[in-house]
Amino acid sequence: MPNIELRNVTKTFDEGKVLAVDDISLQISDGDYVFLLGPSGCGKTTTLRIIAGLEEPTKGEVLIDGKNVKGIPPEDRDMGFIFQNFEIFQNMTVWENVTFGLEMRGFEESYIIKKAEEALSIVDLLKYSEEFPSIFGNPGLQKLGIARAIATGAKILIMDEPLGSLDPKVSKVFRHELRNLIKDLGLTAIHVTHNQEEALAIADKIIVMRAGKILQMGSPYNLYEKPESIFTANFLGETNFLQGFILKLLEDNKMVVWIRLGGPKITCGNNDGFNLDDNVIIAFRYEDVYLFPRNYPFEKSQYDWKDMEFFEAKLESSRFIGATKRFYLKLDSGDSFVSIKPGYYEENYSVGEYLKIAIHRKDIHIFNAPDDLEKELSLM
Amino acid sequence: MVNIELKNVDKSFRDLRALDKINLRIKDKEYFIILGPTGAGKTTLLKVIAGLVKQDKGKILFDGKDVSELTPAERNLGFMFENYALFPHMNIYDNIAYSSRVHARNPKQTKKIVDQVLMMTLLTGRNDSLPEEMSGGMKQRVALCRALMNLEQSKLLILDEPLKALDAGLRMSLRRELLLMAKSSQLQLTVIHITNEEEEAMMLADRIAVMNEGKIIQVGTPYEIYYQPRNLFVANFMSEINYFEGKYIHESPEIWNIHKESNKGDKLFSEIQEKSIAVPIDIGASSIFAGYANKNLFKKIQQNEDLLLIVRSNHMKIRLGNRIDQKKNALFGKIIRRKFMGVFYRFEVLVNINDSDKNIIVTIPASTEIHNKFREGIKVTVYFPKELGIIFKHPGKEVIREVLKLE
Repeated sequence: MPNIELRNVTKTFDEGKVLAVDDISLQISDGDYVFLLGPSGCGKTTTLRIIAGLEEPTKGEVLIDGKNVKGIPPEDRDMGFIFQNFEIFQNMTVWENVTFGLEMRGFEESYIIKKAEEALSIVDLLKYSEEFPSIFGNPGLQKLGIARAIATGAKILIMDEPLGSLDPKVSKVFRHELRNLIKDLGLTAIHVTHNQEEALAIADKIIVMRAGKILQMGSPYNLYEKPESIFTANFLGETNFLQGFILKLLEDNKMVVWIRLGGPKITCGNNDGFNLDDNVIIAFRYEDVYLFPRNYPFEKSQYDWKDMEFFEAKLESSRFIGATKRFYLKLDSGDSFVSIKPGYYEENYSVGEYLKIAIHRKDIHIFNAPDDLEKELSLM
Repeated sequence: MVNIELKNVDKSFRDLRALDKINLRIKDKEYFIILGPTGAGKTTLLKVIAGLVKQDKGKILFDGKDVSELTPAERNLGFMFENYALFPHMNIYDNIAYSSRVHARNPKQTKKIVDQVLMMTLLTGRNDSLPEEMSGGMKQRVALCRALMNLEQSKLLILDEPLKALDAGLRMSLRRELLLMAKSSQLQLTVIHITNEEEEAMMLADRIAVMNEGKIIQVGTPYEIYYQPRNLFVANFMSEINYFEGKYIHESPEIWNIHKESNKGDKLFSEIQEKSIAVPIDIGASSIFAGYANKNLFKKIQQNEDLLLIVRSNHMKIRLGNRIDQKKNALFGKIIRRKFMGVFYRFEVLVNINDSDKNIIVTIPASTEIHNKFREGIKVTVYFPKELGIIFKHPGKEVIREVLKLE
């Protein structure tokens, strides 16, 4: 059963001048569908190539099932490879594409036939065995790539932007097929992407990388609900950021943050590690912003409001985008933020109207303010 | 003023019909999106409007005047490409001023216009930065500035997948910036923007034209395209859908009891509903289902005619247990997969209709926390309000396979 472990892995290129991967350690358990996620140049592809044996680490160790795999070539690591550009042999039939690798490894014919039939049935392409790949669009080509990878009996799938060449519409449906297939076969899979939405949608575990380092790893839910940095909060999902400073530290471990330029005073958080007057950023997801009419009778409602923060903002505009509706709001102090609601949300608000904003305290995250928030958010 | 009209425009490349009888009107100051998959003909359409490709047949009118014989420069429009095409060795000012040099404007006049566009795009004071020092967002604004330099009299901006190369987070914020810029009182641009992302189209467009295989399938507001798609292709392109095949049955009193559940307060949605009629359909489940069909598309309908019912995954609702309410469009099943996706949870629910298994996709907002009750293996009822069911005449099994296929 494949467990993969990286211990203090560093990779430099160009005689040490370029630091691609900077002392990272991680563990991937058997049967996990893991994503390496980050903007271009973050080191995710180099990390994948190190796991696959396509690069040797400059420092550190790669262990598969507890065994150091230094010097073991990719073809002997029990891995199947799936590429963004499919790498399908156009001059071979569908069947030959799948059997080629098995023949090269010198398996017996009966075994090859059995494995190829199994793999092609799994991706539902067996009926096209005698055809050439040119009959397929991109999803078909990638299914063939998957069949080829699983026919070898590999227990680990290594995937470099496997959905990157598909039309966005197709990719949004196909990604669920890909996940279902991997889970049904019980494979361990490592998937590199820069697409955060794709990672959230189908990963068991996400490893967020930036500038050669791992910033955070965990389930999509944990990363989404408990981002440990402004970068992660911004990169996964859509988040509002407001700048302010700590006005008061409270006895119940909470604190009061005063949003800059005379904005609202917001009570939130866990004040461990924060000091009075610290400049901070408060962050909250678009979908965690609830909207009410200014005169909403909260006292008559049965709901318990005590863990919510309230303030007012002006509705600047709203936009229907299908599954969701976006409300663009502005504080009198000048900062803007966004609320999203389901697309069939009953909207009776007019542009220019002041609304009561409610946010659950548990949904407010607090970070130390960086020198330049805009730069931090631009993902450079 | 820029009103654009295309009349019966055809364009072929050898055997490939890239544009097939395109008729289109784009209004002054409109943000107009052309949406479709790769190979739909979007870029060809854009190039024909810009004058970079000449149509085989048909007319292109700008404010009523035929521009078919005019060069791109004479059409007086700004063009921004997917990769921005900035000169890497030139700073912001020179990149933007370059076209002025080509047009041989005097330096003083050039500086005045450059300063103006820099101010509009909030880049004032950044003149000396080189492209490599800029974030994706800044590069986009510089490219946009350059496109704006060409807009002397007319105010037509043409954007070829302008956000495609960017990371998701940045793309989202730049969409908003783009829209604010286009609609700003100084600019008030007419924009034609092509994309293959439905969400981008919905976020920006005043109106959307959905294209496929060289044809325009539907033109409408985001609401119309989403709630009243013209056919299965458009319905499917805008989101993940569930579909059910069935037959029309004569008006059954029971469908009128399916309560209105949604959108009472949404004026735009109500307007669309007024153009629709409720249609009962027998999909082989234990009760009769109902959805809405466009009145115009649904004039002559025969008893037992084959129909298709579409329900978007985010319009499907889910509740515990198997109390099937006869008044609801409801099916009983079991959750087989559950996945957190950020804003939404996505469920696959296995149901049985007419002795065959079917997976129903349901997405619900993750922030409501009711999702905690819905675990894999749990028995549930999935249902939808009839206002959110979309009914078409059955297009034939071949078409369904073609539209939904993943091969």
